[in-house]
Amino acid sequence: MKKSLLLARSNLRKTKGQATAIAVLILLAAVMLNLWLMLSLDYKQNFDRCHSRLNAEHVTLAVDENNSDMRDFLTHTLNGDTRAADFCFTPALHMVGSFDFNNGEINSELIFLEKQAALSRSIGKVEILEESGAKSGVYMPILYKSDRIAVGKTVDISIGSNKMSYTVCGFFNSVMAGSHNCSMCALILTEDKYEELKKSGYAPNATLCSVRLNNKADSETCETWLKNTVAARYPTAHTVSNSYALVSQSRYISQMICASILNAMAFLILLIALVVMSSNIMNYIQEHMKNLGVLKAVGYTSRQLTGALILQFSGVSLLFSAAGVGLSYCLFPQLNKMMISQTGIPYQVRFLPLPCGITLLLLEIAVIFTVWLSSRRIKKVEPIVALRQGMQTHTFRRSRVPLEKTNMPFILALAVKTTLSDAKRNITICITMFIVSLIMVFSGLMIENVIADMTPFLDLIVGETADSCINVEKNIEKNFLREMQTDPRVEKLYLYSSVSLRHVDGLELTAVVCDDFSKVNNPGVVFEGRFPRYDNEMALAAKYAGEQKLKIGDEITVTANGRKSAYIISGLTQITNNLGKDCLITRAGYERLGKLPNTSYYLNLTEETDIDNFHTEVKKRFGNDINAAINVEATINGASAVYISLMMILVIAILLLSIVVITFVLFLLIRTMLNHQKQDYGIQKALGFTTGQLILQTALSFMPTVILSTLTGMAVCSLIINPLTAFFLRSIGIVKCTFTVPLGLNILGGTGLILFTFAIACLLSLKIKKIAPKELLTGE
Amino acid sequence: MKKTLIKTKHLSKSFSTGGDLQHVLKNIDLELYQGDFTVIMGASGAGKSTLLYALSGMDTPSLGTITFGEKVISDMNQDELSVFRRSHCGFVFQQIYLIEGMSLIENVLAAGLLTGRDKMSLLAKARELFSRVDISEETQKKFPAQISGGEAQRAGIVRALINSPEILFADEPTGALNSKTGLDVLNTLTDFNEQGQSIIMVTHDMRSARRGNRILYLKDGTILGECRLGRWVHGDRERHEKLSSFLSEMGW
Amino acid sequence: MKKQILLTILLLFLAEAAALVFFAFRDMNPPQDAVLINEAVHTIQADWKQIHEHKNPTPLDYVIIDNDGAVLFRTKPGLSESLNAAVIHRDTMLDIQADGQTVGKLLIYNDNSRIFLRQKQNLLFLLTAVTLLQSILCAGYTFYLNHSIVTPFQKLKGFAERIAAGNLDIPLEMDRQNLFGAFTESFDLMRRELKKARQAEARANADKKELVAELSHDIKTPVASIKAVAEVGTALADTDRLRNHYVQIIRKADQINTLITNLFTATMEELERLSVTPLDMESREIRRLLENADYLRRADLPAIPDCVIYVDKLRLQQVFDNIFANSYKYADTPVSLSAFIETGYLIIRMEDYGGGVPPEELPLLKEKFHRGQNAGQLDGAGLGLYISDYFMKEMQGELTLQNGAHGLCVDVHLALSGTFKDYLRIP
Repeated sequence: MKKSLLLARSNLRKTKGQATAIAVLILLAAVMLNLWLMLSLDYKQNFDRCHSRLNAEHVTLAVDENNSDMRDFLTHTLNGDTRAADFCFTPALHMVGSFDFNNGEINSELIFLEKQAALSRSIGKVEILEESGAKSGVYMPILYKSDRIAVGKTVDISIGSNKMSYTVCGFFNSVMAGSHNCSMCALILTEDKYEELKKSGYAPNATLCSVRLNNKADSETCETWLKNTVAARYPTAHTVSNSYALVSQSRYISQMICASILNAMAFLILLIALVVMSSNIMNYIQEHMKNLGVLKAVGYTSRQLTGALILQFSGVSLLFSAAGVGLSYCLFPQLNKMMISQTGIPYQVRFLPLPCGITLLLLEIAVIFTVWLSSRRIKKVEPIVALRQGMQTHTFRRSRVPLEKTNMPFILALAVKTTLSDAKRNITICITMFIVSLIMVFSGLMIENVIADMTPFLDLIVGETADSCINVEKNIEKNFLREMQTDPRVEKLYLYSSVSLRHVDGLELTAVVCDDFSKVNNPGVVFEGRFPRYDNEMALAAKYAGEQKLKIGDEITVTANGRKSAYIISGLTQITNNLGKDCLITRAGYERLGKLPNTSYYLNLTEETDIDNFHTEVKKRFGNDINAAINVEATINGASAVYISLMMILVIAILLLSIVVITFVLFLLIRTMLNHQKQDYGIQKALGFTTGQLILQTALSFMPTVILSTLTGMAVCSLIINPLTAFFLRSIGIVKCTFTVPLGLNILGGTGLILFTFAIACLLSLKIKKIAPKELLTGE
Repeated sequence: MKKTLIKTKHLSKSFSTGGDLQHVLKNIDLELYQGDFTVIMGASGAGKSTLLYALSGMDTPSLGTITFGEKVISDMNQDELSVFRRSHCGFVFQQIYLIEGMSLIENVLAAGLLTGRDKMSLLAKARELFSRVDISEETQKKFPAQISGGEAQRAGIVRALINSPEILFADEPTGALNSKTGLDVLNTLTDFNEQGQSIIMVTHDMRSARRGNRILYLKDGTILGECRLGRWVHGDRERHEKLSSFLSEMGW
Repeated sequence: MKKQILLTILLLFLAEAAALVFFAFRDMNPPQDAVLINEAVHTIQADWKQIHEHKNPTPLDYVIIDNDGAVLFRTKPGLSESLNAAVIHRDTMLDIQADGQTVGKLLIYNDNSRIFLRQKQNLLFLLTAVTLLQSILCAGYTFYLNHSIVTPFQKLKGFAERIAAGNLDIPLEMDRQNLFGAFTESFDLMRRELKKARQAEARANADKKELVAELSHDIKTPVASIKAVAEVGTALADTDRLRNHYVQIIRKADQINTLITNLFTATMEELERLSVTPLDMESREIRRLLENADYLRRADLPAIPDCVIYVDKLRLQQVFDNIFANSYKYADTPVSLSAFIETGYLIIRMEDYGGGVPPEELPLLKEKFHRGQNAGQLDGAGLGLYISDYFMKEMQGELTLQNGAHGLCVDVHLALSGTFKDYLRIP
């Protein structure tokens, strides 16, 4: 052990540069790995911690009734069920509503609570995080704290088809109703404002029923059961509900995306580091064959020599992965800020021993294994043979690119010869460039599909979009349709209503009912099979179908309004609105179960039409029979700003990362090459090669491999990037991605990458300048 | 009077070793003439190779000037020197230093192509030189590790001469060879010298020194003496004795 | 290397076998496309009133019959056209409903036989591909064996023949990649050992001859006896020529004697004196010495030509100090400095503006304890220039004094290193 330590130290001194480069790669991998582990291991647990701290509910149900009869019924029902542990009721006002946020609009089922009532809840406590002390106004969820929505400023909230203005008094945190991602969003009003709203009648009275369960795994089934029970007793009452399972997932979508990307990056960088390390070790063995022979002759065993290498590399990697973990804690607050803007749940950064331990252990094991694997050759070194001739470095079968025959420019020909003579180096370059190409293609994909034009991303995440969504009462549907069809501003109009169904052998599904699926704007929603066309067909969310082991062609029985009906699954969808518990059904199909109580229509309006004005006009024309008119575009903008900024930061980060990675890999390779071929460079200089020519030759010798691997990497990655992205987004219900791969951007990126590599290679080989021909001087 | 090729004035070279300046060459004033086969002799450590490398522009002197033809090469920077060496100097090393990854012909072309000459004429010249040093077409395609030291050194000479340099610099060309192959190499050099090729050779081997027509004896970084011999004739006893007495005078 | 190749080939074989097995045991009966059939049923029901204008929207083949068994529509002839035929052919039969009544039957043709045929074709194709791949593998392996075993063996044969013929110079080219590189290596080792043995034999012979030569050298008479014999020879010589030879011998012997005596006396003398140990130094360092000496800044430093000089830095500093001190003391004027190289010396010339000394005093200045007339009350021992002169001589240089145009002019001659005065030239 002691001897190995001695050797390790002397090795390290000799190869300071290489050790540094490997160290940096390990550092980066450790940063990524630790960030990923912190995000995936602890970040979501924070939700649970917050959940139990606030004694939050597992199932929330808001029913548009507030009388003792309803309460008694709920009390009776819940008391009679073994799953429910505790529950409480709070009077509330409930209406669909919207407000401006982030240059867009938040649309949600709004639950208005009175401040004192909200704060005194025993279950689902609300904590005020910021308080101005103002007596009259509204408290908003902390998620919406922004430039426009801040303490003291006024916020306009559309409630149904009316508008109210409130002063923002502060912000609060609510686990189950603190975000539009929770299917309901709570707003807390001061007493006077609450009474005012109650009197105005804009929002009907409701009961907010919060239930804690014995086992949170039952949250989804319990939600379905409770909702159906209430619907059976009070068929006319409008209800809205959510469950622990839904909220815990939907509030953490961006965390999952981010974690997936970090995960991928961490492993890619680790892979590069390991490849570089193993090529480094093989080179080391080759170059030091004689020394190794001497050491063996002196009596060192192969095990001691390998031990020294392992000690050397594992020491470096331990040190730098620890530094990496440290660095990740410096970066985490920034990431945390980004995450909070989506989750809306505060998170306190603190030291996490588990991710730290896993990171260190994983890196250490990987490094030791790689070193062990690549240093097995030491065993084969026989001292006598090694001493006598070292190791043959060239194979002299034939001259590749013979100078006397080739028509290539002279320097290029020399470069190509170098390229062809070192397979190991080429493999390292190939792997690196392949991975970097993957990163480039992914960045290109994100730039094209998320940052530049969001539509493909929205098509994937949101599913169907249109300009406007208008919900009308049944009694005016015919009139509404007639008017709209004749209105020149309406380009397209189709039914797109959401209703609840229950899968007989499974869970509650959100069904989208459409009169004719051939009209929808996003035919990509069904990615396998086709949209339902006949009344006995249904398209089912792929995630749910997978969980229930249903295939296209199978029959699924659903129930609603007390009736049951079976449907053939005609296609699979990947809408993530309800995290993969969706289905599509034709209107005729739904009517086998019952009539639609009200109908939502999606409208495509002409370019020049102002959507909000149009809504005002329609509301004026039909009055209270219009339940809601939603500016879909604005809503999406509001919700998606977070994703755009998230992606932007991610893309920039991973591009920077790939630059660093390329630089260090090339640094290592060039360093090795210069050490290896110092004599050849000296001879060439003596012959009259200028430093410039040699630098060019060195840099060019990388280019064939770089160009080839970048091109194939780009091509292959362009082909596999969609399935790959889908693989990483599978946790949010994405099965198949149909992002457009930006050809121009990729070509640009690839060319840039190649040029950048060339420039860096030139820069790094400047060290050739220091090689002097006089070093060939013999003896004296 | 022969034409002067290289002229040095107060040529000095010092290296710093551990803070101390070590003066390897001191105030050397020397003229080298065209057509000569100049031999630099001296004990090891006398500064022979340093002088050779300074004269050839492989290394820059610490003090003094070197004029090569019309050009003052002691003021040039590394890259200018590189370009200068291409066409004016040829090198033959003790360790031969062929580039391992290239065949013999490629080694020669790598030097030749640097001057930007047309490849066909270059190939013709290379072939001619190869045939003069008695290396067959087949051997030309071999790699340095596949041939004997003598062949390698002769290929080294071809490489040195491919650009028709004004002077061929040879640093102990037979140092790494056995006596038989060393003799071949010496014969090759003598042969080229007789065709008019100026040669400067560093050696501490008597047998090699005998080939020169001007012997410089270097000691402690200065030229201790010089001896002019006539044209090399095999078995010329008188010439041999003159050299021997010169060298014994020098303390050889 | 070899193991890897074998392993790769084995893996490929295994992969082929796996592909074949997978294909053989694959589910040969894919399920029917229920969605497609549903579409067919729905279009037929929609078209029921004008069933003759019905167009098949699906790739299925089917026949529609009414309740009486009459064929209303067929996608192509040759399908099962009655319930019984359909039963026999395992066709799918579905009711067609219109207005809540069953009005006819849809007989969807069972195309399993076609699927079966296609699968057979696929299997055949796969088999062909596998066979082809194997042939290529076998051919490749044969080539590899040929390349790695047969060819080297043939080379070995030629090698053995050469050895047998006594030609030991040509090495056996070995290829470490080769399957039996080590084997060929040992053959070559054998050749080398043989060759070595022969060479050793030759060397032993040569050594013997050398030994004889050395012994004869040792037997030669020592120098002393040479001289003695030579003296006798001189006395006895009868011709001038012969005598000259003897004298020459005696002189050389004397020379050695003198050298030894000189060495002895010189060492004795040196012991008493100030030690001067000159070393090589770059001329540019003189600037600093001059700066140090000229502490009143009376002189402008000259450009000093680059060269290497042979001086003792410490002693040279003393020399300069002394000269400047003298100038300050006696002339007290600015000093002009110049430096140039002349015949093996770097000369530093220093002249003040003090008008010089009387010419008759010039030769005396360097004398021990001499003091100039102008010394007057100024203190001093008169040793400065004497010592400086001694230092300079020890450094193989010189100190010269003369009267210049304006005052006393001191030339410090510093020896250039390496330029031996007795540069030996043999023409």
